[in-house]
This record gives sequence, C-alpha cells and structure tokens, in this order.
Amino acid sequence: MDYDFKLKTASERAKVEDLFDYEGCKVGRGTYGHVYKARRKDGSDTRDYALKQIEGTGLSMSACREIALLRELKHSNVINLIRVFLSHTDRKVWLLFDYAEHDLWHIIKFHRAAKANKKPVMVPKGMVKSLLYQILDGIHYLHSNWVLHRDLKPANILVMGEGPERGRVKIADMGFARLFNAPLKPLADLDPVVVTFWYRAPELLLGARHYTKAIDIWAIGCIFAELLTSEPIFHCRQEDIKTSNPYHHDQLDRIFNVMGFPLEKDWEDIKKMPEHPTLLKDFKRANYSNCSLVKYMDRHKIKPDSKAFHLLQKLLLMDPTKRITSEQAMQDAYFQEEPLPTQDVFAGCQIPYPKREFLTDDDNEDKSENKARQNQPQNGNQGGQGDQGSHNHNHGPNAKRVRLAPPHPVSTSSGMSSQQQQQQQPEFHHVQQQQQQQQQQQHVSQPGMIYNSTSNTQQTPNFSQRF
Amino acid sequence: MRSQQWLLDRQDLIRERQQDLVVLTEEEYQKIFIFFSNLIQILGEQLKLRQQVIATATVFFKRFYARNSLKCIDPLLLAPTCVFLASKVEEFGVISNSRLITTCQNVVKNKFSYAYTQEFPYRTNHILECEFYLLENLDCCLIVYQPYRPLLQLIQDIGQEDQLLALAWRVVNDSLRTDVCLLYPPYQIALGCLQIACVILQKDLKSWFAELNVDIEKIQEIARYVINLFELWKSYDEKKDIQSLLAKMPKPKTQPSR
Repeated sequence: MDYDFKLKTASERAKVEDLFDYEGCKVGRGTYGHVYKARRKDGSDTRDYALKQIEGTGLSMSACREIALLRELKHSNVINLIRVFLSHTDRKVWLLFDYAEHDLWHIIKFHRAAKANKKPVMVPKGMVKSLLYQILDGIHYLHSNWVLHRDLKPANILVMGEGPERGRVKIADMGFARLFNAPLKPLADLDPVVVTFWYRAPELLLGARHYTKAIDIWAIGCIFAELLTSEPIFHCRQEDIKTSNPYHHDQLDRIFNVMGFPLEKDWEDIKKMPEHPTLLKDFKRANYSNCSLVKYMDRHKIKPDSKAFHLLQKLLLMDPTKRITSEQAMQDAYFQEEPLPTQDVFAGCQIPYPKREFLTDDDNEDKSENKARQNQPQNGNQGGQGDQGSHNHNHGPNAKRVRLAPPHPVSTSSGMSSQQQQQQQPEFHHVQQQQQQQQQQQHVSQPGMIYNSTSNTQQTPNFSQRF
Repeated sequence: MRSQQWLLDRQDLIRERQQDLVVLTEEEYQKIFIFFSNLIQILGEQLKLRQQVIATATVFFKRFYARNSLKCIDPLLLAPTCVFLASKVEEFGVISNSRLITTCQNVVKNKFSYAYTQEFPYRTNHILECEFYLLENLDCCLIVYQPYRPLLQLIQDIGQEDQLLALAWRVVNDSLRTDVCLLYPPYQIALGCLQIACVILQKDLKSWFAELNVDIEKIQEIARYVINLFELWKSYDEKKDIQSLLAKMPKPKTQPSR
C-alpha cells in the first residue's frame, strides 16, 4: 500500500470523536456492541444521534451485511443509516443513525408497571393501531425488497421521540447476525446470553430450515398481542443459549397452551417438519383441548368479535402458508375503522414514557453481582439501534422483573413539533416556530457522506384514552 | 433500493485514469485489468464461490481503481481483498483468513507463474488493512446489482432458450473485462450481451428487441465494448506480455518519499 495514499486518506478521513460528543452517553449495551446518544460537536445542528460502535474489531459478517443492506434501504419506518465511520487505528466500525428515544420494549414495560400499580397511562386511542400499521408498512417494504428481518421483537421496534419524526416507528436490527453466527457467541462479560424464543414462529421451533416472510409475520402477531394486553403472549421460561437445536419444548407447549394444538386440517404440512416426530412423541393433543386464541384474548379483555382480534388471528395462523402477508394485513378492515392510524403514533398527545437513561460502565460490566440486574432497565435495549444478542430482554410477567415506577419524570419538552399542537397549545407557539426553523435548516445540507435524509411528518387528530 | 451512485460517465473515467495513462496506454491499462479479472475469477473458482460473488468482487476491484491510481494499492493485494469482502456481502460466509492466503499462494504459484516469479507476498494483516480502505473507497456501497438476474428474466420472456442463455451468460462474464459495469445499469448490460449472443448464434430476435422499451443506442454501445474486447483477445497473448506490463505498471511506495 502506498505511503502517500495512506497519508492523504488519513488526512481526509473524518473521525467520529472529532465530529461527535458522546462520552458518558452510553444508552445501550449488548452483544451487538455499544450505543451512544450523540450530538454534533460543531453545533451545526442540535439533534440527537445514535452512534453504534460495533462489537469486536474489523468487519464481521454481520457488520458487513448490516452496512450493505442499510445503505440501500430507505423507508420512513426503517431505521436510517446516516453514515459509517471506519476507525483504522483501532479497527472499530461506527454507525450513525437518527436517535430514537423510545422502543416497544420500554413502552410495554411502562404499561405493565402502570397496570401493576393500577395507574392509568393516557395514550391516544389509536396508538396500538398506528404502531401496528407502521410496523407492517416497514416490513412490507423490507419484504418487497427481499430482506427478511429474522429477529422481530419489541426491543427492535423503535419509536421516535420529540422532533420532526415524532411518534414514528423505526424498525431496527434486522437479524443480520442470527443466520451466520448461530449459536450466538456469548460475550465473556455478559453471560449467560439469553435469547428470546417468544416471537419465534412454530415452524422455526419445529426445525424449518429457512427464514421466510411468514416468520416475520408471526413475530408481528406476537408483538400486536403484546401491545393489546401488555403481556408477552407466548411468554416462556428462558434458557441459556447453548444449543443450536431449534426444537424448544417449553416454547411449543406455551404456544399450544394459548392457541390449542394444531389440527391436521389447519396445518397439513406439519407432518413434513423435521421435528414432527419429536412433537408427536412429546405432546398430547388432549392436553390442549380447552385452549384457543379466542379464550386467551377474551381473558385479556379483547373481544373475539373485534376487528383487532380478527386481524390478530390472521397474523397468528399456525400454518405459515396460510398466514396473512404484510400487504394484505395493511388492507385489513381494522385499519379502515375509527380511530384511523396516525403518522405520529402519539397523535400529538404528550408522550408519557421516560427518556432513555445513560449507562455507567459498572452497570453492565459488573457481572459477578446479582443476575437479576440483567433484567433491569438500564441493561435493556436502550439505544435500540443494535440489538442482536438480546441477552437482556427477558421481561417476563414475573413482577419483580419490572421496575414499578417510572425512573424519571416525564420529559417536559413534549408536543412541540406538530401543527396540531400549535393549535391546541398556543402558548408554545413561539418555541415551536423556532424548533421548526431549526429542523428545516437541518434538512438543508450536511457535510460528509450522507446516505439518507429524513423527511418531515404531518400530524393527525388525537383522542386520549387508556392504552 | 438505490444504487445510482456508482454509475459513472465515460469522461469521469478518463479523467480519473489520467495519472495511470501517463505511464500506460489505454490498451495496456485494459490488459492489466483483464489480467486481474482473470485472477479474481480463478481465486473465486478455487474458493468455490458462486459467479455472483466473483462478479461482485470484480466490480469492487474496478470501482476502487475508477477513483484511484494503480499506484495506491497493489492490485495483487486488492484482488483477494475484493473476493474476501464480496463473499461476506453475498451471504456466502466468511472465508477463513488462512484459507484465503493459502489459496492466493497456490493460485499465484500454479496458475499465474507466467506473471509472477515470486510467491504471493501478502498476509492476513495486509488483507484486513486493505479491506478498510476498500470499504471506505466504495463509500460503503456493497450491494452490487449484476446483469445475471435481468438476463434470466429476458431469456424467460423469449422462451426456453438454453443455448442462448448459456452463451449470453458467458458474454456477461466477459463483459466484466470491460468498463461496462462502471458505465451502464445491469439491465442494459444484460441486453447488450444477449444481443451479441444472438449474433454469434445467428438468431434473429430483431422484432423482440424492437418491442423493448429501451435506449437501443446504449445497448449498441455496450455491445461495442464487448466486441472490442473480443478483437483485443484475438491478437493478445497474455502469457507472453503480462510480465512487462506488470513491470511498467505504477507501484506503491511503502516508504515516505524524500
């Protein structure tokens, strides 16, 4: 390699630490690496960014796939890769994203805690519908480009906080690593690595050899149910991931306990599944004769004649060939019924959820302590822009895993980006205008390798109701 | 999906190559790239990679030098680095470092001894360092759309034509030895190569071509590039000429120049 070429490129190369302030601002930590909340040093804009430092050095297969795909993808409901920094000296790879203040893992946890405390959370009536619609929209985009997510779960569904994209869903962390590095290698300081099987489709648990679009749809069904009830529908005791064997008895048992045991006429090809003999050996249909999705959801106050239930049932069909597609789901009557889905899932209302907390290094590197720490929020998927290990999302219904009160006061800077808000809260008018001007400036031009730009959002009316 | 960034125009290409074209004629420059495309092809075959991966590696290689002089990085180092990166992008899996280096050593020794008298000089650390420079110069655009898939669709539209497909496929492979992958979108390249295959097989598809809604001039330009390549091959003996070409090629200076 040419000496002068090296000198020249080194002098032209932007360094992440020169451009961004992020020290002490870690918001996420997992097998994927570290995520920091960052600001531009030059003050050319004041928005927040998420900086993800990819675990390890050099360009792993998963890092490579992540960069390759995110570089090509552009959709308002898919996380936007703004820039890549390559640090040649320590061989670290950094990815710059828009910052998403919330994610469904934290949002659902907040609702669970509120429910346990019998405190209502005020959110727009159509919020769950808006969330689901945008998840489907993003997945439809990925699927029509033949990108499979492979690891959908609440922690990977981000929601933008205050700003030009307020209340917008962003799908993150396509399962780039999952396919190639199975079983996931536990990190020395994060053992045991726990992987959630709760969102895994039954065909995967029965040994299906390939990921499909239908597998992503099942996971969306699970997330939808969890949004409706605040409980993970297929919650199951979790084990350390030590085996690459896909067959998972307890998880299947849980699915059958909710759904009932599949009838042969409902899933004809179940006989062809690699683990079908094991299934016959381990399970008795009679044990599940009283189980059905209707009953499960009814227990959680979701009526079997509601449009929401009908759609859920189509997403959670056991036979993958019969499961609805994202495109069909978006056409469902549920979305045509009032309240209509909104672009800002918070529909201009105040956002009740706390902002992400900063992690200190001993929050996660001190492993000798109490294992329960792993389940605490500070180890959760904050930053979100990079969960692949999911060691820390085992938020069971077990009450002690849930922090009972919100750790922070709710952000006071809410509701300032929408025109709706301008009308509803005239006292904020002046501030809003300033903010909007800033936002517009941000969108004009930014130096460096800018891949995507963010677009502005519009707002729609809102009705406040309990989640 | 977007991938317009890497469609260059002829003038850009000529301008970027100025530095190398002081030392080399345009024909010599092309011969050097034919040689390294062959090297990438053989490396890929030895590593049992699919043609798609090999094609992606070749495009990476050409894109790097579309923006940089041959002097910046020794192409003998960049070629295996492109193969290494392409195999990761294309979900083929990571080629182990030792296997890559061993394969390079064997290929250089057994298949390209007419070009190199010394053994393959690079090690894993060189490849890994080079990979960062490659990624940076590609501006992280790693997904390369190739003419193979559009070609399959076109052949399907014509009707089952196995002989035509096989030949057009080989012409697409040959087109990687020209600049067309830098200048035209994959769909047009597929058509250009298909047209050549039709001429060779004396198949009259004029009416089929006429019904396509494409810029026929571009298709002709692509065909011209490939025909020029065939012409060049007729009178060129790589085994005889390559050593002197490689000697003439601008080379990196690893030490600071005084």
